[in-house]
Amino acid sequence: MKITAPHLGNVYLAAKALFDGLEIDYIMPPLSNKSAIEIGSLYSPEEICLPFKIMVGNYIQAIEKGADTVIIPGSCGPCRFGEYGEMQMNLLNKLGYDLEFILIDSPGDIGIKELFNRIDRISTKSNKSGRQKIKVLSDAIKIMNLIDKIEGEARYLTGYEEEKGKCKKILNSCIREALKCNNPQEMIQVLKEYEMELNNIKLDKSKNPVKIAIIGEIYTIIEPFSNLYIEDKLMDYGVSTQKKLTPSWWVKNMALSPVKLNSLDIKNAGKEYLSIGVGGHGRECIGEAVLAHENGFDGAIQIFPMGCMPEIVSKAILPTISKDRDFPIMSLIVDEMTGEAGYVTRIEAFVDLLERRKVDALSWS
Amino acid sequence: MIVGIPKGLLYYKYNPFLQTFFSELGAEVITSEDTNKKILNEGIKYSVDEACLPIKVFHGHVFSLRDKSDIIVIPRIMQVKKREYICPKFCGLPEMIINSIPDMPKTITEPIYAISKRKLYNWAENAGSIITKDKSKIKKAFNRALIEQKGYDSGIKDENYRLNIALVGHPYNIYDDFINMNIVKKLNKLGIGVITEECLSEDLINKEVDDLYKRPFWTFARNSYGFASHISKEKQVNGIIYISSFACGIDSVVVELIKDKIDEFPFMILKIDEHTGEAGLDTRVEAFADMLERSC
Repeated sequence: MKITAPHLGNVYLAAKALFDGLEIDYIMPPLSNKSAIEIGSLYSPEEICLPFKIMVGNYIQAIEKGADTVIIPGSCGPCRFGEYGEMQMNLLNKLGYDLEFILIDSPGDIGIKELFNRIDRISTKSNKSGRQKIKVLSDAIKIMNLIDKIEGEARYLTGYEEEKGKCKKILNSCIREALKCNNPQEMIQVLKEYEMELNNIKLDKSKNPVKIAIIGEIYTIIEPFSNLYIEDKLMDYGVSTQKKLTPSWWVKNMALSPVKLNSLDIKNAGKEYLSIGVGGHGRECIGEAVLAHENGFDGAIQIFPMGCMPEIVSKAILPTISKDRDFPIMSLIVDEMTGEAGYVTRIEAFVDLLERRKVDALSWS
Repeated sequence: MIVGIPKGLLYYKYNPFLQTFFSELGAEVITSEDTNKKILNEGIKYSVDEACLPIKVFHGHVFSLRDKSDIIVIPRIMQVKKREYICPKFCGLPEMIINSIPDMPKTITEPIYAISKRKLYNWAENAGSIITKDKSKIKKAFNRALIEQKGYDSGIKDENYRLNIALVGHPYNIYDDFINMNIVKKLNKLGIGVITEECLSEDLINKEVDDLYKRPFWTFARNSYGFASHISKEKQVNGIIYISSFACGIDSVVVELIKDKIDEFPFMILKIDEHTGEAGLDTRVEAFADMLERSC
């Protein structure tokens, strides 16, 4: 049995550590790339959203490398993501692959017992003892938190760095080196070293960089390929960015949601504009926009895939926030047809706008 | 007090309830006109660009009521069945409207959970208290409204046609004759009878849905899927026409599930949006009718 799972940002590092630690055979799909999206668009329904297509591309590229068991993440509505499992299983079966599927669904829907059954199908393949398994799992979660922290810090500190491009360099080599590790402990060590390096980076505190919050649909902001590496681009412009929705946020949010203590700050911030969940992360998007303004950011960029239902609701609300608070917000919609040149032009224009607002370039005094 | 009820989205399914409830409370109820070009244009003007046609049309209806009513009902229908939703846009509908249309009058936006009588009554209490403080009056109006709603049958079931098709899709696409360009009349004229999902019992739909690996979590998607799959299996009709609004997230899933299930059964998807030309739609419907004619 060779397991594979779709990509989501840097989660592959944690996934690699997990399977390495459990000594389960796995195939990591090649990082999301152009041919993945081409394969995905070819086989997927035309009107489905972008994440579906990239994920199908991931699966098929992994299957071509020998994977025979596919882990499919799921949820239970009201956003389309919940139906991915059903459709992707049909689609891959119709293509004639002989596969086993493990659909990780929310326990509220399938029952906690069924969820454990399904997870068991993965973990029984490992010869490790129960205690070791739990250790490996907690290491994997630690890795996910570490890499999210490193990434977040590197992206935010970019605006302040003395040597231009240093943060990006550290972030890139961190991911590269971490990927070379073959067991969780080793990887944690590497990540910690890079965390230290990042902490010791020379900063110019007198700088006043443009700061942008990245908000919107969770997949398209976490998976860099789907948003055409917007954060890397902004790093090159010397812009500090921050995104609240990260894989580690998601895990914490899920864990706290049964007791309704999840992301209280975001919910409270957005209450005035949207007091009810609209599925996906529409409500979070609104809350984050407000928080970004309160935390002194210069602007926000909303990213979502074409046709995303919850984000369309938030897109309707964002202009009001922007007007109420004199806070620029730009919405970028991505799909498999997004042209890079037009996309970059919009980002550059937005950064220019924020820069000018800062130095008051239009005033003569 | 003048209460405005927009004639869009699920108005076609739940209008007896809303109408009766508010008029029993003693309010003057007005509804917008049937959808027309002007309403559509206003809707396109005020709605967020990415929204689907029915949402845009709804914006147009609200706009047409804006200056005529003291209060507008924007039903935030969260659920009509347990563990099922309608669509994320329904959950955020009031916010979309209030932030898109300027100078809105007061609105009733309480979330509606129509999963049980008690839950629905919660809504009635909240919404009714804006109009009257008399609790017993609200209770009476609520009960009357429920009775009216129960006696209301919105389905279409034509008889005495040689050829029949099943018309599938969200109720607001099927029953709004402006949005779908009078498709039912067009089909009847071509000698084709129309059947809609309301004619199929709940049990039969449930039975079909059980075949799915995952329980579908959208009420209307579930109905559409169950209906299409049952009726094609039993060969009760000669073909299926699915009316889908462009960029509808739910349809993009259901259509795929139906296609997988019904195999070679004649199936046509009519995409509608604000740019749909009537001539093109006519051609497609006629071609489909010809095809059915020849294959039977």
